[in-house]
Amino acid sequence: MMLSRVAERVYWMARYLERADNTARLISAHTMLLMDLPETLEFDWFTPVVIFNAEEQYTKNYPEINEENVMRFLIADRDNPSSLLGSFANVRENVRTSLDLLPEVIWEQVNQTYLQLQAALPSLSSRHSRQRVLREVMAACQRIRGVLENHLSRDHAFDFIQIGKHVERADMTSRTLEMTSLLLAEDRSHALRRYESILWASLLSALGAQQMYLRHKNSRVIARDVLEFLCQDLKFPRSLLYSLTGVNFYLARLPGPDQVRARSSRIAEQFAQQEISAIPVDQIHWFMDRLQADLTVLHGEIAHTWFYPETDFSQLQVQAQS
Amino acid sequence: MNQEWSCYNPQPFHDELMLACQESRPHSRKLVDYLKDLSRAEFCHRVAESERVIREMGITFTIYSDAGNIDRAWPFDLIPRAISGSEWSRTETGLKQRIRALNSFIQDVYNERRAIRDGIIPEDVVMQSKGYREACVGMTPPHGVWANICGSDLVRHSDGVMYVLEDNLRVPSGVAYMLENRRITKRVLPDIFNLLPISPVSPYPEQLYTMLASLRPDLEQPTIALLTPGIYNSAYFEHAYLAQQAGLVLLEGADLMVGKDNYVYMKTIQGPERVDVIYRRIDDDFIDPEVFRKDSMLGIPGIMRAWREGKVAIANAPGCGVADDKVIYAYVPDLIRYFLNEEPSLPNVPTWVCRKPEERAYVLEHLPELVVKPANESGGYGMLVGPHSSPEKVEEFRQLIQENPNNYIAQPTLSLSVNPTWCDDKIAARHLDLRPFILSGKDIYVTPGGLTRVAMVEGSLVVNSSQGGGSKDTWIVDDQAWEGGVQ
Repeated sequence: MMLSRVAERVYWMARYLERADNTARLISAHTMLLMDLPETLEFDWFTPVVIFNAEEQYTKNYPEINEENVMRFLIADRDNPSSLLGSFANVRENVRTSLDLLPEVIWEQVNQTYLQLQAALPSLSSRHSRQRVLREVMAACQRIRGVLENHLSRDHAFDFIQIGKHVERADMTSRTLEMTSLLLAEDRSHALRRYESILWASLLSALGAQQMYLRHKNSRVIARDVLEFLCQDLKFPRSLLYSLTGVNFYLARLPGPDQVRARSSRIAEQFAQQEISAIPVDQIHWFMDRLQADLTVLHGEIAHTWFYPETDFSQLQVQAQS
Repeated sequence: MNQEWSCYNPQPFHDELMLACQESRPHSRKLVDYLKDLSRAEFCHRVAESERVIREMGITFTIYSDAGNIDRAWPFDLIPRAISGSEWSRTETGLKQRIRALNSFIQDVYNERRAIRDGIIPEDVVMQSKGYREACVGMTPPHGVWANICGSDLVRHSDGVMYVLEDNLRVPSGVAYMLENRRITKRVLPDIFNLLPISPVSPYPEQLYTMLASLRPDLEQPTIALLTPGIYNSAYFEHAYLAQQAGLVLLEGADLMVGKDNYVYMKTIQGPERVDVIYRRIDDDFIDPEVFRKDSMLGIPGIMRAWREGKVAIANAPGCGVADDKVIYAYVPDLIRYFLNEEPSLPNVPTWVCRKPEERAYVLEHLPELVVKPANESGGYGMLVGPHSSPEKVEEFRQLIQENPNNYIAQPTLSLSVNPTWCDDKIAARHLDLRPFILSGKDIYVTPGGLTRVAMVEGSLVVNSSQGGGSKDTWIVDDQAWEGGVQ
């Protein structure tokens, strides 16, 4: 038995947990990258803001683009729903309202991390303490996932958590991959060409994929191989296709109508059939955008089917299930 | 900590742990010796650890204020309160007796009204109770029990006797904090549990489940839910915690609806599923907008219909608050004698009922020494504490009593017992009370001990956590086992 409201809560808990983890990794990798690059490149502190599609919101609240402002916006800004603190506050709120079905220690872990994050806010302008906090957040996300993996029964709560995780991961990965159109652009600067391998390696580490890429795809970092690996590798659990397949798998375990599953399968199939290396550089952006749009529609259908089902309760006359 | 303890002086109050300044009571000797043996640094370290545990476990309560709702860390004092097992077993017997009488009384109010007819309690006293619900007349809930969960407040006076101060029968809270206080002590002072036989409190969630399940004897595995007003309620932490520990479905009014067949259903991802027992943490007023407050967003339209048809059990039963009233309280000893044919084994605080002319005369004559309470308020509102009030305030209450004597009772000002408490870097005597929890369904269960609340300010009697009160782990120490020695 699972309440619709609770299904929604655990689904969003998983999404925000994934978002927090990915945000921390992205910021951390980006900081490392910029330490290696000259200041005049197409990449700067603003790049992650672009990845989050949050340029407008940023410029509304911050007059200047610099390391401190961007970091404040991405990590500590409560008005930014995708900020690390905002994401984690949402994880906490969703766990708090599903305590009856999640393993008990989850609450303690989430709460502890949230308090740590809050306590660290005043020291964010220091790169050193910032990087440390980001590592702690990533480690906490791993611990929380570990508890879910090892302590939660394989019930529908688990299914919704997996669906939330994969949907969010696919969304975040595709946003990050939009940046590759900059890296591949015909008219990219000479300076950028000089740093290319560093940039692609950084992209891999921003998605936590560097080691597995080197081991399973190619021991040299080559643009098209990286893109293909991150998009379509079937064994790497953070590739786009893996996430889309994951969504399919866990949707199939849920009760209810087939339309949602059909849509999900269609998205994964279309994506699998696409020859990545054949996509023109100037269309990578559009390709990723389309995937994000597909995911948004899929999310809507999931919500409509399981979170806010249109049952005519006034006509209700059914027998008890057990 | 020898030095800190050598300065301790509880006088002139009854102390729960100490017989005199330096002499501990037999049942608390090992506890006091253990604490004396800790170095000051070690003790402070454990206090800091308890605070960290509370923060990390997210044990909070919510304070409502103009500036919004604030989640505060649960206030906890590390020095436990101990009660001897032999005293407790008498208290437990008294609590069971009391709840049986109260439930018989509520059943009687909504059905035969024998107690009124036989002149045990005046009809208008019953009818003026804010908790009386016309919509419950004629109902008999499972086992004839209305107040399934009761949290009585006990206080010990300087005569060493434990008195019942009030019976909380509506939606008493605090039991999760009782459980958490024990968890914290186990984590922070683990060694101490080898020294003394302390009754476990951990069976409570299972006892709660068993009691709730007994409200549907016709079903083998009833679906049981805890109904919360939601995350903004001050006791939400407790609601979620109890649901988690007892395996109840935690839900809000919007998750439920009543079908055409008058069964109650919850909205699940598989469609509607039936709910058989509801442990509601919402006041009567809000539970069913069809019957009570029309503006309630928390309730479930039609749930009273379902309850009256026996299609869902509700704990506590709607209307059970009729017995949770300051004037009716004064009649409880008589109700015990009337319904059970027994002498009350747990005393009431002596109470003068202002509606009786001779008692009113006494009250008006002794007003500056007394505590005066209105019938229907709780949480200390609208009260007069004679010895701590100005002559103007006393005169104001004299007026109020004369205008509306039926609404007031008076009691002597009690001097609550104290317990050594860590405050401002020293060990000092602070006043406390005790809220045990009593579960009644097919059987009756009383928590060993309960939630001890302590006033952290010197001389203060205000134990409410919303007003700066703290809490303590409460131990029932088995003196039989203790005399024979443990280990």
